[in-house]
Amino acid sequence: MIKILFFGRLSDFAGPIACTLPKDVATTQQLIKWLGREDVPLEKALTAKGNRIAVNKELVMRNAPIKDGDEIAFMSPLSGG
Amino acid sequence: MESVIITDKAFEPLTAASQFQKYAGGAGAIASFTGYVRGEGGSVSRLRLTHYPGMTEAKIKVLTAKAHVRWNLLACHVTHRVGDMGAGEAIVFVAAASPHRRAAFEAVDFLMDYLKSEAPFWKQEIGPGGEATWIEPKENDRRDIARWSEG
Repeated sequence: MIKILFFGRLSDFAGPIACTLPKDVATTQQLIKWLGREDVPLEKALTAKGNRIAVNKELVMRNAPIKDGDEIAFMSPLSGG
Repeated sequence: MESVIITDKAFEPLTAASQFQKYAGGAGAIASFTGYVRGEGGSVSRLRLTHYPGMTEAKIKVLTAKAHVRWNLLACHVTHRVGDMGAGEAIVFVAAASPHRRAAFEAVDFLMDYLKSEAPFWKQEIGPGGEATWIEPKENDRRDIARWSEG
């Protein structure tokens, strides 16, 4: 199983997902493609400039490896304070 | 000594300052900053802050640890509000204690710049009619953070 979370503006496009790691998905970029297979607006939102990706609550580069059991978070630009 | 509190309850900045002063007993200098929800002349009635439980605390702890080492602080503290809040309520309280004033001022300034655009928080303005608008970092926030790069 993997857990996929969407934060900030991206939470307007999708809610949390828990699913088995899709076949042929081994990286965050492949996961975005997989999520976008039937949802073009979501894929477009996920590839927008300034987004960050975290795997298991650690920021990762845009194309990071993922494996079964991971929690992947897609985050729109951060704004605290 | 570093401490981080994320809370969905309203907090009183003066109480937080007084607690920090006790916690940092003996420091020659304590600087603090409190951020409040602006009124904007009635056009913004509420702010909604969301965070990523677990990651947000961890990320702020990394920032406070960095500030601690960089300015050789005696103590620092961050309280950050999440959830819905109204005009005049405190969103964030940051304090730093050091032997002399410069380090305390700079550490607080640094922590605020990083909390603005490097900690996992997301902010929405809720207008008078209930409409929610995402607020994202502006160019000046990026310039603010660039001041601290160690080149």
